[in-house]
Amino acid sequence: MPILHIQYDGKAQASDGKVVQVVVGLAQSFTDQLLQQGQSLSQPIARNALIDTGASMACIDDSAAQNLRLPAIDVVQMTSASHASIQQNVYPIQMQIVGSPIRVEVPRAIGANLAAQGLLALIGLDYLQHCTLFYNGLMGEITLSI
Amino acid sequence: MLEKERKFYDRKRAELVSQHLGQFVLIKEEELIGVYNKIEEALAEGARRFGLQSFLVRQISETSEEEINIPALALGILRADSPHSI
Repeated sequence: MPILHIQYDGKAQASDGKVVQVVVGLAQSFTDQLLQQGQSLSQPIARNALIDTGASMACIDDSAAQNLRLPAIDVVQMTSASHASIQQNVYPIQMQIVGSPIRVEVPRAIGANLAAQGLLALIGLDYLQHCTLFYNGLMGEITLSI
Repeated sequence: MLEKERKFYDRKRAELVSQHLGQFVLIKEEELIGVYNKIEEALAEGARRFGLQSFLVRQISETSEEEINIPALALGILRADSPHSI
């Protein structure tokens, strides 16, 4: 059972306690087909992701999605703070947490402007449904296993 | 993005719901390529046929729009609106 154990400094309220480094690339179902056809693939991108148990779906930064040449496979409506409702692309991705073999296919990740917050992705419930997550605020520890 | 595909899906939705509720549809422009039990199968077939071009893969459901719940974006804790074209 692959396990990621993070111990963070300071109080449990520190936001960086829930930030992990991830590698994001095109979904495996895509890469298998494209490699069979001899097509070249963009290199996966490694950056920070926020574990967000309030998010029903994972999100990926739109700029990173463009750099990865991810194909949009749907468009969804999402409420935002500045607009009543906006349209966001949906991308098929694979996300691995650095320092662990925890790699999960996320066939429907929502595009969003996350780079301004220094984030590549949000790890939502569609990812976490494959994992066991322990958040120990008293000890300042996060444990993720799959 | 995917306007033709989404309009085509909306036109076909009642028919798809009656026959394939819960399955995954693959649509390119105004053509129904296929219906699959798993989303991975639909994505693989789309990648095989169209490479890195965009195409629509959606679970067939009775509601027309999927409800996305991401409070960090909705509340403006993180910004949702992208500078890139949709």
